Amino acid sequence: MKHRVTLRIGPATFRIGSAWSGPIGELRRLYADYPAPSGGLADFTVRLEPAGLLRRWLRPSIFITGDHGLADAAPMSLAHSLLAAEMGMNLQMALGWRRHLLLHASSVEKDGRVLLMSGESGSGKSTLAAQLGERGWRLMGDEFALIDLAAGAVLPFPRLVSLKNRAIDVIAADVPAARMGPLLEGTAKGDIRHMRPRADAVARMDEGAPPALLLFPRFGHASAIRPMGQGETFMRLTQASTNYVALGEAAFAALGRFVDEVPAMAMDFPSGDEAIAMVERLWEERA
Amino acid sequence: MTVDQRYCREREGNILSRTLGDIGLLYHRPSGQTHIVISPVPEILEAMEDDSPVSVGDLLQRLSRRFDLGPQETALPKIAAHLADMAALGLIRAVA
Repeated sequence: MKHRVTLRIGPATFRIGSAWSGPIGELRRLYADYPAPSGGLADFTVRLEPAGLLRRWLRPSIFITGDHGLADAAPMSLAHSLLAAEMGMNLQMALGWRRHLLLHASSVEKDGRVLLMSGESGSGKSTLAAQLGERGWRLMGDEFALIDLAAGAVLPFPRLVSLKNRAIDVIAADVPAARMGPLLEGTAKGDIRHMRPRADAVARMDEGAPPALLLFPRFGHASAIRPMGQGETFMRLTQASTNYVALGEAAFAALGRFVDEVPAMAMDFPSGDEAIAMVERLWEERA
Repeated sequence: MTVDQRYCREREGNILSRTLGDIGLLYHRPSGQTHIVISPVPEILEAMEDDSPVSVGDLLQRLSRRFDLGPQETALPKIAAHLADMAALGLIRAVA
């Protein structure tokens, strides 16, 4: 690959290669403050390649490839190359990470304890984590929470936050332009804009903390909080984990312990402001 | 499915179990599968704890000491069906 960059996000190192300079330059700018990789072999390789022989120049289209791939991934426009790189990194983590139990959840930390939020795309977990990250919480990750298999701590994976559609303006109002990526319009997921977490969240990306509360947020409903039983929580988290089956017995033990120790609630909310107030109230009650 | 069939528990160490609230979790080591079970599966496994093969009738007798299972003619086929399902999942073994 002509253009390359190596990035470290939490415990994972990614080597990203591209046939074009644009995406690599954008990644270098947005990941500029991240601690340098320690050297040695990267955990994953992500390659952004032209979809066909001429597609490097003619209506350029990107194919994402890497150590772990999806056979039928559709090519993406070069204008969306930053999204392609981020999707490539996510895909490698989701399919290949084995050192921690990986939950599809956002996570933020306060007072040395972690709040996790799990849910489908569109549930609001990513936006809510980004908002809390600007309001006194440490953003640990917007997409994946890594659970230590032995100790049960949550480890950060503070990659760029992927903001979608309406969330873009909400967050951009709080965040300096230097931390925002370009607006990517009309992607398969709608409009997308990436945001770099605050410098302290990046600087502390090797610092885990014990989990204290698990929420299943749902945006667009009247405010409601419902305690969730351990059986339902366990079932939901096995579905929210991309490597539960691959890790086998270690994941069974780690997830059982997590569900046993961490209270879980479903939280419906009508707006970001209301969600923040609900989270702060819940956190105080449990302090 | 037959009420004459005898069953015993899986070999010791093949299944890890954990109780979370009102559900039971069983991790089946040979297959790597996790089974989320509710009553009466945990009670049936507990009643088979001495590891000796039991018939459906034996099991009904053991369970009836702790639970009201109703008339024998309706309880027997239900327990037999549960045992057949549990054997299919590898949680217990059918013995000749």
